[in-house]
Amino acid sequence: MPLGPFGIDPVIWAPLRLVIAVLLVVGLVFNGALAQIYLERKIQAIIQDRLGPLHTGPWGLLQTFADAIKLLGKEDIRARLTDKWFFLAAPSIVFSPMLASYVVIPFAPGIVGADLNVGLLYMTTLGSMTVLGIVIAGWASNNKYSLIGGLRSAGQLISYEVPQILSLVTVVLVVGTLSMVGIAESQPGWQLNVLVLPLAFVTYFIAGLAETNRAPFDLPEAESELVAGFLTEYSGMRWAIFFLAEYGEVTVVSSIVTTLWFGAWHGPFVEVFPLIGVLWFTLKTYLFVLVFMWIRATLPRLRIDQLMSLCWKVLIPLTLTNLVITATLLLVFPSTVVPVAIANWLLLAAFVVLLPYVQRRRLVALRERLRTAA
Amino acid sequence: MLDLIEPALFAVLTIAIVAAGAGVVLANRITTSALLMAFTFLNIAGMFVLLGAETVAMFQVLIYVGAITVLILYGVMFTPQSPRPYGLFFQTQKYWAALLVVPIAIIVALIAFSFRDSATVGAKGGDLLPLATSVFRDFAFPFEVASVLLLAAMVGAIVLVKRDED
Amino acid sequence: MAVPLGAFIAVSAVLFFIGTAGVLVRRNAVVILMSVELMLNATNLALVAFSRRYSSIDERGSVFVVFIFVVAAAEVAVGLAIVLSAYRNKPTVDVDEIRQLKG
Repeated sequence: MPLGPFGIDPVIWAPLRLVIAVLLVVGLVFNGALAQIYLERKIQAIIQDRLGPLHTGPWGLLQTFADAIKLLGKEDIRARLTDKWFFLAAPSIVFSPMLASYVVIPFAPGIVGADLNVGLLYMTTLGSMTVLGIVIAGWASNNKYSLIGGLRSAGQLISYEVPQILSLVTVVLVVGTLSMVGIAESQPGWQLNVLVLPLAFVTYFIAGLAETNRAPFDLPEAESELVAGFLTEYSGMRWAIFFLAEYGEVTVVSSIVTTLWFGAWHGPFVEVFPLIGVLWFTLKTYLFVLVFMWIRATLPRLRIDQLMSLCWKVLIPLTLTNLVITATLLLVFPSTVVPVAIANWLLLAAFVVLLPYVQRRRLVALRERLRTAA
Repeated sequence: MLDLIEPALFAVLTIAIVAAGAGVVLANRITTSALLMAFTFLNIAGMFVLLGAETVAMFQVLIYVGAITVLILYGVMFTPQSPRPYGLFFQTQKYWAALLVVPIAIIVALIAFSFRDSATVGAKGGDLLPLATSVFRDFAFPFEVASVLLLAAMVGAIVLVKRDED
Repeated sequence: MAVPLGAFIAVSAVLFFIGTAGVLVRRNAVVILMSVELMLNATNLALVAFSRRYSSIDERGSVFVVFIFVVAAAEVAVGLAIVLSAYRNKPTVDVDEIRQLKG
């Protein structure tokens, strides 16, 4: 009789791995959102020299549970002039693609919902579907702030999809597969992709910040100018579903970063106990979730024109250059990735050094033009 | 039992495609049309998966649901219309149109339904590799031409919509 | 049991004629664009069905679907731009009423 992983009969293993994957997804999304809200409050508090939630439970740990129960108990409000069915459908249209993208995330060796050979493409596809839900939410609310928020979000998400996909393609060129498991297996030990392609990582992370509507790109829900953007008319559990979707998206982007650049489940003792890969994967993912929060507490929000010019004038030319250089170097040196790594580090250095300089030059030129015009 | 999964999925997808497609043409409100169109696209992606063409299915969702539907929703929102009776929905040429479409439709449907093929078993393996080799090796020049077409369309759309700066 | 190829072709034909009917009878220009998209999708379905089922002869059939994606994206961008600029001249998207070019 053939034995599956861990010496379990394959007939039992097939449904068992499904159960494990689903439990992990539910845990990551629902408990993850609770944990992330707590972490976000505490970390922002630490950065801003405050104490954060303190009174409910030890160290304020039960604060998010109390908030969740409060949200569940709220009255279900729908304004009369909203568009009933679209208003009700929008949270699910945003939430379900996020949940579905957990299918291809490789948590540990053998623990993955389905090893699609187009896994990475599948994830970007589902990421692009949330735009539809947000536009519908903004339109169905019948409120000008919601509409502006929804349309801004659509413009932002569609624009930032381009540098996002171009950065992913660079990794796929080097690794040679679209399967998430294949990408994870290609980086054993210290051969992490981030050492080869640091620039693709940085551009993907910036685009990922914009894709998840997080600060400094949280324009669709900029509370100081748009009330709450497309969320204005939502309350109670529907609002909570949008929020869960946002935290779930943050986790998805972090796990893509973990898988593509930081070796997914690889870490000490994985060869001996494959299940410990889940621990490494979760730790790495939450490290990037913490970076998301750190950025939110540090950087001010961009203006809408700055957002668009960053995407179209900086990120897209940069990622295109990176893609062309990587492809050329891989054609010239098919057996080694060292030239690609050198080119990528040089481009990253150029990006970090030149971006503030160019921006300052443009600002000076703009002020000069305004002064002569006045 | 397991043999019936594929035909059952096919039946569900067919009903969804035909119903949603008819809804696009017949729906009273234009946003309903747009959403039903997105739903049709999703179901066609399901058909592609059923045929074993998962790469094309992913591109279908990425381009049609993620981009084209949103573009059309933008178009709907920028051209607000006052509500009108259902009778004014169709053009004056509708009878001529029906006279033209129905016979051709019947002929094509008869041909399609009577189609008997020898190759009922689909290809093994994904369509990622065949698609990639054909796009980037056999059809590389048409692919470049297509990118020029896209660029021309982008420039054209911007020029058409841009207002003259005062 | 595999679904026969003819069934896919039949669905494709039905959807194509739904799209044709939409183009011919609806007044709203945006709905006409949507119907054109339906027709292009029906074509995609037929092309993919033939390509996958006859892949032992030639497995490159799906490449035309990629070109149809390109054409569809270009068509919807330019089409919506035309509709929008027509709407600016006269606030309607009815193809019956946009007849300035008619002498």
